[in-house]
Amino acid sequence: MNDTVANGPEPDSDRPAGRRARPGLLARIWAGRWDYMYIAPALIVMLLVIAYPIYYTVVLSFFKTPPSLAMSDRIFVGMDNYVTLLKSKNFHQVTINTFVWTVWSTFFAVVLGFGAALVLNREFIGRGILRGVLLIPYVISAVAASYVWRWIYHSDFGVLGSILFRMGFIEDKLNLLDNVDRVLPALIVVNVWKEFPFAMIMILAGLQTVPEQLLRAARVDGASPLNQFLHVTLPHLKGVLIITVLLLFVANLNHFTIPWIMTGGGPAGASDIWITQIYQIAFGRIRFGIASAYSVILFIVMVVIGYFYVKALTAGDDRRRPS
Amino acid sequence: MLHQNARSIVRASRPVGFASALLATTLLSSPAVYAQGDKTGIDPETWTAEYVTSIAGTETVDTAAECAQVTPLDYEGKVSYWYYGPTEASPELEHEMYDAFFATFAETYPNIELDAQNIGYNDLLNKLRTAALGNAAPMVARLPILWGAEFASKGQLMELKPEDVGYPTSDFWPGAMKSVTLNGKVWGIPTNNETMAFIWNAGIFEEAGLDPEKAPDTWDDVVAYSKQIKENTGKSGYGLVARVNAGNTPFRFMPMMWGEGGGALDEAEAEPTLQEIQINTPGARKAVQNYYDMYVRDKSVPISALTNTQTENQDPFLANQLAMVIAHPSEYATMLDRANQATGSDKEAAMKVVENMRYGKIPKGAETRAVVFGGGNVHIMNPDNVEGEMDLEAAKALICFMAGPEWSTKIAWVSSNPGNTRGFKTEWMKERLDTIKFLDVSTSMLPSGIPFPVVAESTEIMNIIIPEMLQQVLTEQMSVEEATADAEQRIQGLLDGI
Repeated sequence: MNDTVANGPEPDSDRPAGRRARPGLLARIWAGRWDYMYIAPALIVMLLVIAYPIYYTVVLSFFKTPPSLAMSDRIFVGMDNYVTLLKSKNFHQVTINTFVWTVWSTFFAVVLGFGAALVLNREFIGRGILRGVLLIPYVISAVAASYVWRWIYHSDFGVLGSILFRMGFIEDKLNLLDNVDRVLPALIVVNVWKEFPFAMIMILAGLQTVPEQLLRAARVDGASPLNQFLHVTLPHLKGVLIITVLLLFVANLNHFTIPWIMTGGGPAGASDIWITQIYQIAFGRIRFGIASAYSVILFIVMVVIGYFYVKALTAGDDRRRPS
Repeated sequence: MLHQNARSIVRASRPVGFASALLATTLLSSPAVYAQGDKTGIDPETWTAEYVTSIAGTETVDTAAECAQVTPLDYEGKVSYWYYGPTEASPELEHEMYDAFFATFAETYPNIELDAQNIGYNDLLNKLRTAALGNAAPMVARLPILWGAEFASKGQLMELKPEDVGYPTSDFWPGAMKSVTLNGKVWGIPTNNETMAFIWNAGIFEEAGLDPEKAPDTWDDVVAYSKQIKENTGKSGYGLVARVNAGNTPFRFMPMMWGEGGGALDEAEAEPTLQEIQINTPGARKAVQNYYDMYVRDKSVPISALTNTQTENQDPFLANQLAMVIAHPSEYATMLDRANQATGSDKEAAMKVVENMRYGKIPKGAETRAVVFGGGNVHIMNPDNVEGEMDLEAAKALICFMAGPEWSTKIAWVSSNPGNTRGFKTEWMKERLDTIKFLDVSTSMLPSGIPFPVVAESTEIMNIIIPEMLQQVLTEQMSVEEATADAEQRIQGLLDGI
């Protein structure tokens, strides 16, 4: 598009031969001015709907906003909201719940998705139908799915409990959602059911890019199927897997619908995670200040994950960049 | 057509209704009830079931003529309105009444454009909070009795008293007026007021060896009955509800807590200061202990109580698997509707349950008999928080219409009572009494009603702190003493502004 960018400037005379000087930042921006113009509308919208709310959330996190006061009468408390939050027993419990929920949901969704992708990557009759069937949980509305699962799990009249009881596996009612020890694993099962098709599709796409000649070469060299998988397929999927894990991790950290609809964070806070707690504090208890502090902490965690995500996305670019 | 439908809900069990009325009259004359009359402003000596019946149909109302004095009938304008109206679980008749209200308003004020949105009870509070913060609130909002205080304290409501829409304050229950009064100013008008009743399945009572026509008189009886029902029939006894963030939970727990002598604050006292916390008192602990005994010790209530609201209790009740619940007068009509929707043998079984439904007074505790004085109020939002320009004349026309004796009776047809007490004198109230089964029983609970404390923090106390206290105990994360002490600490923090 632009010769200066494409060819680079003339080398400085005092630089070693073969190395070109990189243009300055302003020069590069100016060179790409038309590109910036094209993305300007999108950038402006993003600034309005993302940057400003983030800024306002950070500002609010330094204020106390009791329910009896209008927002304009909020009280500046500095870092008090953060201190209160980090010292609270409840925050620690909710943080543990959040990581249990996020890590296990991500882990099982990827493992199950990987397995399904390996199956679907083979040729067999009915593969197309099976692929469609396995995608159903992903396309169903999370709200509808949550209500359906709530009835499947219902402690008194749930389908699951009824089946297990009739088959003689349990002698009493199956209490999943009303039990503090079982509620989170029960919700993780629902989440994995809902999310594994996403992992499956991502990994399946990755599997279809594994070069057949490499696998053939491995077979010729006498590699067993396991070794072919470990030494050819898996390394080739590394990028896809990292991105899938990061995307699912972020999605799970932000996942609101399933825990909120199925249990509202209960019983006794046993399924409360950061995002449900933030909603509860902001809209149930009308503490926008402390909810904002909570959100800022969540945001920082997300930024860290986002950094690794971008790094994973651009890892190939770095390798391809000429030295 | 509406009234024909109303008539279809026939008084199937007159002897029971009459007996209940007699019982109501007897109880109303007890000293404990006199004391509670002070809290609601309802004089139990006057407002007996017989009195309510005797005044019904003695006054003719012309709503259009009354409202024309407030806003001319040819007024041109626009009003936006949010409310919590009938849901899918509501009886068909309630839907028809709301449809008729909007149709009649449009006929009476043909030049006022009404943008009405029925927002579910569970969504309305958060939606209105957010809308008010973003200056996108509707001009008029009808809210449950508990919610207005928060908006008033934030300056998001306009002052509004009955006289502003042509009615004297004396036409409304003094207790209900307290629920719209904050810092000496009036912020809304009561549209409907009700108390719940105790409902039981006489068939399950008989099966369990209990007197099928006798409701448990005390909360201790409820615990004992629930246990006996579970042991003798395998069915759940009491429909305990303990979900967090659901108004159903405090509406069912507070009557027990007040009855045993406790309270969230001192709202159950004759002269509440709303500064004294009573949730860690022996009475409050006794009420929590009752819940523990039923859920953990006896396992006589649905396990799903921690995630259930009353709506989820309707299915097991109709399936003859749950014996006792606390619900609105409309529960009978709802059950009848649902039974009629069933088919085959299911319908037969459900109709049998409806036939076995009995209504009684809410049981009493060691101290008194109490029930939540519930209902709804209509408010005008602060023009600064409203989307577009406020049309006060149109807003007043709408409020005059809904808070008048005619429509405050009709809108409350199956689930409540008119907020405007002149509604009790109308022909429509007479028709309600003649056609709605058990209405006399729930109406006779009005003198035992206690309003939730009118403080901005009320919603958090009732919908979050109290249900969480119950869940901590029912899941055995805390003992009764620890949970009530924890709740006391949280309420204190709330009142201290932490």
